[in-house]
Amino acid sequence: MPGLTSPKIRRTAGARLAVVAATAVLPLALASCTDNANANASGTTDGPIQVTSTAAECKVSATEAPSGNLTFAVKNDGTEVTEFYVLAEDGLRIVAEVENIGPGITRNLVLTAPAGKYITACKPGMKGDGIRADFTVKDSGKQATVDADLQKLVDTGVTQYTAYVKDQTEQLVAGTKEFAAAYAAGDAAKAKSLYAATRMHWERIEPVAESFGDLDPKLDAREADLEPGQKWTGWHRAEKDLFPPAGYKALTAAERSAIAKQLVADTEELSTRTRTVELSADKLGNGAKELLDEVARGKVTGEEEIWSHTDLWDFQANVDGARIAFENLKPALQQKDAALATDLDAKFSALQAELKKHAKGDGFAYYNELSKDEVQQLSALVDSLGEPLSKLTAAVVL
Amino acid sequence: MTANFLIGLREGLEATLIVVLLMAYLTKSGRRALLPRLWAGVGIAVAVSVGFGALLTFGPRGLTFEAQEAIGGGLSIVAVGLVTWMVFWMARTARTLGSELRSRVDDMADGAAWGLVLVAALAVGREGLETALFLWAAAQASGESGTPLFGALLGLAVAAGLGYLLHRGVLKVNLSRFFTWTGVALVVIAGGVLAYGVHDLQEAGILPGLHSLAFDVSAAVPPSSWYGTLLKGTLNFSPATTWLEAAAWVLYVIPVMFFYLRANFRPKLRPAEAPAAAVAVAS
Repeated sequence: MPGLTSPKIRRTAGARLAVVAATAVLPLALASCTDNANANASGTTDGPIQVTSTAAECKVSATEAPSGNLTFAVKNDGTEVTEFYVLAEDGLRIVAEVENIGPGITRNLVLTAPAGKYITACKPGMKGDGIRADFTVKDSGKQATVDADLQKLVDTGVTQYTAYVKDQTEQLVAGTKEFAAAYAAGDAAKAKSLYAATRMHWERIEPVAESFGDLDPKLDAREADLEPGQKWTGWHRAEKDLFPPAGYKALTAAERSAIAKQLVADTEELSTRTRTVELSADKLGNGAKELLDEVARGKVTGEEEIWSHTDLWDFQANVDGARIAFENLKPALQQKDAALATDLDAKFSALQAELKKHAKGDGFAYYNELSKDEVQQLSALVDSLGEPLSKLTAAVVL
Repeated sequence: MTANFLIGLREGLEATLIVVLLMAYLTKSGRRALLPRLWAGVGIAVAVSVGFGALLTFGPRGLTFEAQEAIGGGLSIVAVGLVTWMVFWMARTARTLGSELRSRVDDMADGAAWGLVLVAALAVGREGLETALFLWAAAQASGESGTPLFGALLGLAVAAGLGYLLHRGVLKVNLSRFFTWTGVALVVIAGGVLAYGVHDLQEAGILPGLHSLAFDVSAAVPPSSWYGTLLKGTLNFSPATTWLEAAAWVLYVIPVMFFYLRANFRPKLRPAEAPAAAVAVAS
């Protein structure tokens, strides 16, 4: 390498580094700006909390404050340089601090504090653990803008739902293989008995499965929705063959076998792809709503399982899926909109109670056995749940 | 008064040292013409810090603690990167001094000198915001008594004076020794800045291990004493050092020093007529 060119190369590297640094730090600085509390006395704080630090004392003018932006005005009345800390309840994690408070100087510490227990500490001489006292931040109803704990709750929820999706796809693959084997072998009675229960695993995670635009029609297309020229495969193809309408010409053994094989292959492909799918809080929230829309669109009308009439199995599975997504987001939702969480809880329970009335053995009544009033009742409960459920995503994510 | 003086002194030294060594380097290598750029970098950093500090103190918006720590810690670590690059650049160009290739090197020095502006700006800027916030607080307090501000400014002035003396002092040192030792000093200082940056990020909760101390000598070296102040101001020595800080310091200083010394001493074995070849080997 020619030595004399290297400084130039390094210069560019240095300059690039500086640009990267500037672009990284500046937005951070701007995003982290927060109101100086003394400028808006009508806000959550009535002026700064006064702290006086001396060699032996750390006087804090209040022992509690409402959550939101807090300002501590820390005055050093001692002779040594002091520091002031706000520590988390464990006394270890620094929530905020201000250093270099010289004698006679007052410095402000501004922080955004969610409700909880804290410890304040002055450190005259800048060493040791400091002079500590307990401090409580009470929930003011106003939400802190920076809330690491909330993010943690959301992340946990997403992780749990991801595990749920994995579990359901595994059961779906196992169930589908069993169903396909029975169907291909011409064991119609066994295939019929497995049909609705196996499909429940699919219906529970339908929004995730539907995110793969090519697999969904292969697995779940209904005859009425087929595009011209589209080859009809999947569950509903088998359904029509197993629960034949009048005048239906049954498939040959070879055709059945092909359908069964394809069903298993597509389901395995789905399972592989869901392993790498990235879920997030908004996908959970929107997915829950999609599942309920699915109920309103296909199940309440009885269109989904037009031959088997097992719509209530799908109905239950869609509600299960929506409910699990909601439950996973609930801890975060309770922090941001507790009223919505309570409302959703109540409406899920009401719908579930109504569904339970139609339970029969391990399964449900056939949809064509339900009276008009019963369908009406289910439909009304689905609608009343759909309305608050549409607010879930915005409440958790924004 | 004394305490505020010491804060000013410490913050001043932290900002001054790297700039002083760069100044001495430029003077020694006969590139005094580049000094205004260095000062421009310093000027920009001071102006930005003072302005930003005033805005945050008197304006309607403040900066959260997390942001302050992340800015200080982030800038420190970037500064270390640039100082390291500078040290090796200096070592390389110093070797070509007096040779016929001088003019070509100066061409490139011209380009690289813009890097100098950045180094100077970062060296001052990383401590600038914190110092500015402290100074404005002292200025606010001057309604009650002028001594805090006076003490702080005196501390800064003494730091500048010490810097000037150091500058004069190192100018007297013999040329080849000067280049070696400036580099060594810069590597050690940069190691301190890195450890300090790591500590800032630990305090901000971005890095773990704030309470795992490698050693705590704050009883023997109180941070508020004059010698504690000098150690902190010059080497960024913290009497209570976490394991992560200590590890960062060791992992930075030892390999960088090794490569620096190797780059510096090896070319001397080569004939002076072939500086380009020597550089090629070193790099």
